[in-house]
Amino acid sequence: MTVSAPRRSSVQRRSSQRHSGRRRPSTRRSVLFIGTTLLAAVAGIAFFAPLWWSFVNSLRPGSETFRYLNPLQWQTFFTLTPTLDNYTALLDTDLSRAILNSLIVSVVTVLAGLAVCATAAFGLSAFRFRGQGLLFSVVILTFLIPFDAIAIPLSDMFRDWNLQNTFVGLILPGIGNGMAIFLLRTFFLAIPEELVEAARLDGLGWWGVFTRIYLPLSRPALIGAGLMLFLFQWQAYVWPLLMGTDREHILGPVALSNLQGQFQVDYGVLFAASMVLVLIPLIIILSFQRYFIQSVTTSGMK
Amino acid sequence: MTSLARGAGTANRRARSRGARSWMRGPAPVALLFLLPALIALIVLRLAPAGVALVDSLYRESLLSGTTFVGLGNYLELFANPDFQNSITVTLLFTVIVNPLQVAAAFLLAVLFTRKAAGSRFWRSLVILPIAVPPAVSAVIWSVIYRPDGLGNGILAVFGIPPQSFLTSPEQSLMSIIVLLSWIGVGYWMMFLIAGINDVPGEYYEAASLDGASAWRQLWTITFPLVRRPLAFVLVADTVSNFLIFAPVQILTKGGPNGSTNLLMYDIFTRAYTFADVNKAQAEVVILVLITIVIVALQFRLLRTED
Repeated sequence: MTVSAPRRSSVQRRSSQRHSGRRRPSTRRSVLFIGTTLLAAVAGIAFFAPLWWSFVNSLRPGSETFRYLNPLQWQTFFTLTPTLDNYTALLDTDLSRAILNSLIVSVVTVLAGLAVCATAAFGLSAFRFRGQGLLFSVVILTFLIPFDAIAIPLSDMFRDWNLQNTFVGLILPGIGNGMAIFLLRTFFLAIPEELVEAARLDGLGWWGVFTRIYLPLSRPALIGAGLMLFLFQWQAYVWPLLMGTDREHILGPVALSNLQGQFQVDYGVLFAASMVLVLIPLIIILSFQRYFIQSVTTSGMK
Repeated sequence: MTSLARGAGTANRRARSRGARSWMRGPAPVALLFLLPALIALIVLRLAPAGVALVDSLYRESLLSGTTFVGLGNYLELFANPDFQNSITVTLLFTVIVNPLQVAAAFLLAVLFTRKAAGSRFWRSLVILPIAVPPAVSAVIWSVIYRPDGLGNGILAVFGIPPQSFLTSPEQSLMSIIVLLSWIGVGYWMMFLIAGINDVPGEYYEAASLDGASAWRQLWTITFPLVRRPLAFVLVADTVSNFLIFAPVQILTKGGPNGSTNLLMYDIFTRAYTFADVNKAQAEVVILVLITIVIVALQFRLLRTED
């Protein structure tokens, strides 16, 4: 089957070339090619323009943000005198502290969350025991309840436990992630049982099987799940607004939106802060692009 | 989702093949130890708050008589409340517009970026880049774009369109929020659909071209039916996430003008903290959770029956 399939398709390709040869394809095909390219370029530029405009504005003084908009001109999207002044000014504001808080919260969430989710996925895939299906359905059940929907009752509970304005309060909801457990479990199930049995016969304990066999073999899934946990925290808004609003615990997105609401706004600094909040996840996504797409499609459908 | 069902199946089969062995002497206690931290986290942080909301929604607190059981009283009062009625109407209107719009845009873009074109990968990555923008940051960036003297009116002027009021007009505010959400959302859903389209065997198209089917016909008779599964998934997942929209409303419009953007999540927030009517807010949480459960359950059924 695998041998015959490509052969058949190459025959088809040859015959389809012959067919279309009769219908003067080259002009039609190149018109289609140019049209597709134009559409693709328009779509790409349309999506990129707001981001690029924000980036250019972060490189010029806030007083110039609205200078080149009426009418639109080339300076709207470019500047010949880029400066990093907004970024250095950012260091003197509370925003830099908030962005640092966001980083701390997200990184700790990834580390703690991976430990919690990977052990759970291991418990659901390496063993066979009665009640396993039931426990797995508890994980699935948590898919049904999106975190933001229950954020308000949970914040009441956290207030009773004196977790408001603490890093623990900000981090905790991120570490138990049903999606991440699901993703890791799918990957763990593919690890051959014989490997585990051999290791067990050699006297390796379950913890050893987990740390010496499962974890090293699952780097792509761990990276994918880590990205998921990171983005959950980095993009969060409802929870940090309910949980941490004092100066020591405020997170980047909340601090940025507070700045936007003020009467006097330095738009240069506002855009610089926005860019930092966008560039950090962007760099992380781009450097792990392969794992990101894989994890996104795995958790979704496959 | 398929492997979910498949995975559970193999686990059951494995358990049965083991035969009857004492549960305690088997691997179960060790497995439970591995599972314990996550189970506690999921139960305390996801399931318990939903339960608390459900219980609280059946009670009412007042200074005079303390806490009293009122049954469905909070729900009945909510549905009689004009602000809540408006919030439900706005949320439904929003759902009916935003989801088909985003899914259609994601599908058409996915089709566009799987065709041969110069620099296709590059243009595609430009569409994907905004998914890194957190919703709150998107709201802040667009607040500047939507200013009367902002980029939005600057671009409209190029096409000879007079300045618009965007967020400050009751007619345009909801649409303005939809635009800034689609900017960060469409690229994300597009990635799922591109994966789905790439799974369609190339031979199908070759056969269709041989039969002289136009590109447009191939799109509707081959691509569309074969990516039905990813499309259904994207539609449902997108619908759930759009029920939970909060940041742009809280940052940009505070539900206004005239309640035109008072989406459910924001209504819950103001009821709980501005009006301090916690029990009715909890009733609203229960309604929101029920809506999402119904939609996600629908997703599971949709994807399972098509196997």
